[in-house]
Order: sequence, then structure tokens, then C-alpha cells
Amino acid sequence: MTETIAAHPIDPFAADALNAGEGLDPVDPAYTHVLRIATLLKALPVAIAATLIDMLAIRPEGGPYGLLTVAAWLLGTIIVVTFPSRRAQRWGFKIGDGQLRVARGWLFRIDTIVPFVRVQHIDVGQGPIERWFGLSHLIVHTSGTHNSTVTLPGLHSDLAAAMRETIRRHIQTDFA
Amino acid sequence: MSEAAAALPADDAVAEADWRRLHPATLLLAIVKLGPRSVNFLPALAAIGIAGKWIYVVPALGLFLLLSLVFAWLSWLRFRFAVGADEIVIESGVFARQHRTIPFDRIQDVSIEQGLVARALGIAKVGFETGAGGGKKDDARLDAIGLGAAQALRTTIRAHRGTAVPPAAPATDSASPELATEDRLLFAMSPKRLLVAGLFNFSLAALAVVGAAMQLFDNVLPFDFNIFNPLDWIDIAEEYGLDRWVVAHRWVAGVGAAISLLFIGFASGIAMTFLANWDFRLTREPRALRRTRGLTTRTDVALPVRRVQAAIIVTGWLRRRFGWHELRLQSLASDGEKEKDHQVVPFGRLDEIDPVLAEIGIARPGADRPWAHSHRIVALGGFVGAGATALGGLVAIALGQLTGWIPLAIAPLIAAGAWISAHFHGWTEVEEMVAIRSGWIKPKTTLLPFASVQSVDLATDFILRPLGLATLRFGVPGGSALGSHEIPAIPLETARALRTRVLAEKDAA
Repeated sequence: MTETIAAHPIDPFAADALNAGEGLDPVDPAYTHVLRIATLLKALPVAIAATLIDMLAIRPEGGPYGLLTVAAWLLGTIIVVTFPSRRAQRWGFKIGDGQLRVARGWLFRIDTIVPFVRVQHIDVGQGPIERWFGLSHLIVHTSGTHNSTVTLPGLHSDLAAAMRETIRRHIQTDFA
Repeated sequence: MSEAAAALPADDAVAEADWRRLHPATLLLAIVKLGPRSVNFLPALAAIGIAGKWIYVVPALGLFLLLSLVFAWLSWLRFRFAVGADEIVIESGVFARQHRTIPFDRIQDVSIEQGLVARALGIAKVGFETGAGGGKKDDARLDAIGLGAAQALRTTIRAHRGTAVPPAAPATDSASPELATEDRLLFAMSPKRLLVAGLFNFSLAALAVVGAAMQLFDNVLPFDFNIFNPLDWIDIAEEYGLDRWVVAHRWVAGVGAAISLLFIGFASGIAMTFLANWDFRLTREPRALRRTRGLTTRTDVALPVRRVQAAIIVTGWLRRRFGWHELRLQSLASDGEKEKDHQVVPFGRLDEIDPVLAEIGIARPGADRPWAHSHRIVALGGFVGAGATALGGLVAIALGQLTGWIPLAIAPLIAAGAWISAHFHGWTEVEEMVAIRSGWIKPKTTLLPFASVQSVDLATDFILRPLGLATLRFGVPGGSALGSHEIPAIPLETARALRTRVLAEKDAA
């Protein structure tokens, strides 16, 4: 059924053969920027807090002033600069053949398949950062307790809408 | 009041004369329920008391009770229902009126529940299972009508379903080709069976309750002796001048405490089993499995056969030696608040379970089926836990805490348990169904038809990947979020092939 598997007998979890190698489409490259800004917004308060602790607690105590600040900002910069592009590359999806396939992660990689006929309803969502880059995310709801929602981020808004229509046609034909 | 009722659009399907009220005993039930509810009022009473206005306490309490009763009476007055030709109409609400129509076609089944008070009054609570997604709280119910009326209502609805043109029966209904017209008894529990089940339900959970009660009554009881307190056994020995003998034979106290522990464990196990499963009956009805049980609170639950998603057979390491098993069915509806899966055979032999499984179109894999095993790496989690425990113990010892030896002693046990349990993880495939088993102390076998699978995860991580392994995780409706169905650590190619087969069924359907 899943020609993606039969046609690509390459180890899908090898780091270098992630997307094309396992027959998955990559998400929009702009998703890297979305992840980077989201990471920045999370890391910034932490770094600022570390700096404040450094100034207000460690300096009066005569501790190693400046160490915490430098470490926090250095680590934060590395996380914001390097990680988002890697994380975005790990996302892959394939639509077609009556099923939606979504793969994510590397250290813990999860490759989910949801048959269209099992989809209960579909959301297409867009956050403020995503809107900036013209991206949307697709959320597929199933009636399973595990995987009750499967989210696929980093889709161009037109593509997300088209995918929603594709899946919707299948839902209509299989209402029992 | 009639003006308010008229404000709602009149329902043509229901004649004015058909409207009925709940049983007047509902008011009595409301009074019974007031007891626990007045606890909410205690802080207010305390506030009045603290303010030093003790004279107001009794009037305030009286006012509260009166208001509650008036409100109960009003809501009884404003609640009415009517059984039409092919629908049931319920109107409720004191201030905010609600008008609800439920077509018989949409009622999956009618459940009847009777608590202790309700049984004394001859009334029952009726619930309508409509299959709405909102869960229990969205389902309509009639809090109390006469038991006879409840059964008549159920018969009416079921008769309607019988005569109505069956809605384009899907192919999945092959489980019941003959559509039995008579209700057949599938499984029942005799008192003797309950006693045996109770013995296996040995539970020390009651000990905490008894212990707390004993603490409470310690000073109240006329005699200063607590049979659950080993120190008291030593005291009594000293009293009889046996102290020297006792110093040499301290085990007497230990044996006394152990015997009392065993007694509590068995007694509470038996009592709980009798309370829950008294007169247990599982019957096959045209569309559903019906279960009635309970000593004080009798419940009558119907589980529509088509909504069963998976079957789970649970046992224990000891009871398995004696051939006892428990059958649970996973369904969209949950079995009350606590239980996620419907217990349909609480305690039975496998050859009693098989006919029940046959009713829902599931067969246990035969003894000749080869079981594929998960990789032993699944024990790793237990090993890590054991390592952490040992480390914690070592740190405690290093800090001079002698209690650190306890985790250090437990750690090897955890590791051994994980290692043994790892040998029990296995799976096999029987035409369009996958069977997963796991567990050593509590062996569990899940029978999962492909048709129930909503989504499949193929998960690997940095430990499984170098070993060429993957974990398959199935999204299945119902059940608890924690107890997801998965086959851990099987070869990647096997996992992928199985996933393809599980999902291939979907396209044919």
C-alpha cells in the first residue's frame, strides 16, 4: 500500500537520508525561521533572568561574577542559531495513497501514519510568527486515544488548505 | 409556570397528556443527597460561630436546608419528559430551560442503575447512551423513575429499534449473523465463584482505613488493646508474666501481626468482590452485551457490540497458575468514572471467556501460534531505574543515612523484575488482528483488530536505532491515554511490514 516504503529501501532514520531518502517531502524552509524566532522568544527571558541573578545575587556574594551571564548568552546563541534548522529538517510528511504520513524528531523519531478515512476533523491553524512567513500548520484529529491529534507544522498556507481539501473529501465518503 | 413552558416552541410529536414527571421519590433522594452536600455549608457555619453569633447557627442551617429542599422541589416540578412515538423529549431547568429531543434511532442503549436507597424505594436512574462525543456528562438521563417504568421504557426503545428498518448495516456487523432475538446468558458468577475471586483479590488497601480507624478509636475503646499493633501483643505477653519467654520468642508478636494482616487482606478482598460483583450476569442482546451486577448499587450497563475496539485479557502470576483470567473490553464509552475498560468477565476460565469473545468476533490466538518476542532491550528502562535507586542509596549511605541500604537492596530486585518482564513481551498476528502480550506479575494480553486502529506510530530513538529496532504504537479509540497499545522493540523491517498490513485493511474497508 505505502509505495513510499517499498520504493525506498533506505534506512529512513539515517541522518543524511532523512527526507528524499525515505520518500518524505520536507516542510517549507521558512519553517526554520519560525522555529528560530519561537526559540529566541523562549531563550531570551532565560538569558535575561540569568544575567539578573548574576548581577543581583552573585556579585554581592563575591562569586564568580560574569560567568553565569556569559554561559547563558553563549548557550542561548548556540541554541537559537544551530538547532532550529536541524529541527526543521527532521520534519517530513507525505500525503497520498489514502493516508497522511508525518515524521518528526531525530533522537526520538516518530513516524505516524493516519489513514484519511480515520480522520475525524481537520484544523488549519496559523500563529502570528507563522503568518509573518506565510506558513500554516495542519492538525488532524483521530478518534484514537493515543494520537488524538497529529500536527504537521511548516506548510505553505496554500498547501495546507489544499491538503485539508484532499483529506476532507475522504471524510465525506466514509461516514458510517 | 405553564406560561414559561409555553414560551418554548410546542413539540408537535408529543401530546400534552403524554408529559410525565419523575418519580416523587426523587425528592427523597434529594434529601439523602443533602447530607454530603451540607458539608459545603460547614465553613459558613464556622464563620458564624467564630463571629460569636452562635444563636444564628441553627436558623442559618435551617434556612439552608429549606432553600435546598425548595430548590429540589422546584427542579422536580420543572422537569418533565414524554415518550413519543419515536423519540423521547426531556424538559428541564428551573431558570434556564432546556428542551432536549432524542430520537430512538440515536439511542444506542438504555442503562439502569439503582443505589441502595433507590432499591429500597423501588426506583431507578435511567441513562440514555447516545454515542455523543462529550462523554458521560452529556448523555441524557432521568434521575429516578419507577423501576417498572424504567424497564418498560427500555423495552419500548428496544422494540422500536427492532421494528425500524436497520440503518444500512455495515459489513463489520458480521459478529452477530443470527441477531439473537432471545437474550442469552453468556456468563454469570455464583457465590462460590465470588468467594474464590475474593480470595485472589487479597488487598491490603483496607489496612490503611482500618489503621486510621484504629488510631481514632484507640482512645475510645474501653479496652486498651489494638490487635493490629504488634507492641500490644508484646504488652499482653508481659502482662501474663511471659516477658522472659517473649524476649526469647519475639516471633510470637510477629506471627500475631502477620495473621491479623492476612485476615484483613482476605476479608477486604472478599467483601469488595461481593459488593461489586454480586449476582453478576452478562447477557447477549440483539445489539449489545448487557451486564448487571452489584450488591448495594446495582448497575445495568449495555455495551454495543459494534463499538467494542479491543479485548484485553488480564490475569495475575498466581491466579494464572489456577487458570483464572479477567476479560475487559475497550470501547468508546468508559465504564463509569474509574474504570476505562468494561469488565465483562471479572473472574473466569479461558473456555468461559472464549464464547464471550466470539460474540464480538474476536478469537484468541491458538496455542500453536508462534509468538514473536520483543528485544530484551525493553528491560533497559528498569535497569536505569534500578541504577538510579542504587545511586540514591549509595549517596544516602555516604551521607551517613543507614536507611540508604534499603534502596540498595531493592535495586537488584527492580533490575531482576525488569529482566524477567522483558521475556514476556511478545506479539502475534491472527488474520486481521494483532495480539500483544506483556507483563510478568500481571500478564496482559491485548487482542486488537486491525479495523480498530486509527493511526500507527513507528518510533525509534537513539537506543533502538543502532540495534535496528522500532516500536509500533497504535492509536485506538477508548481506553486510557496512559495505557496505549504498543509493540516495543521489534526489528524495523518487521515493524514496517506489520504497519503496512494493519493499515492495508483500512483501504479494503
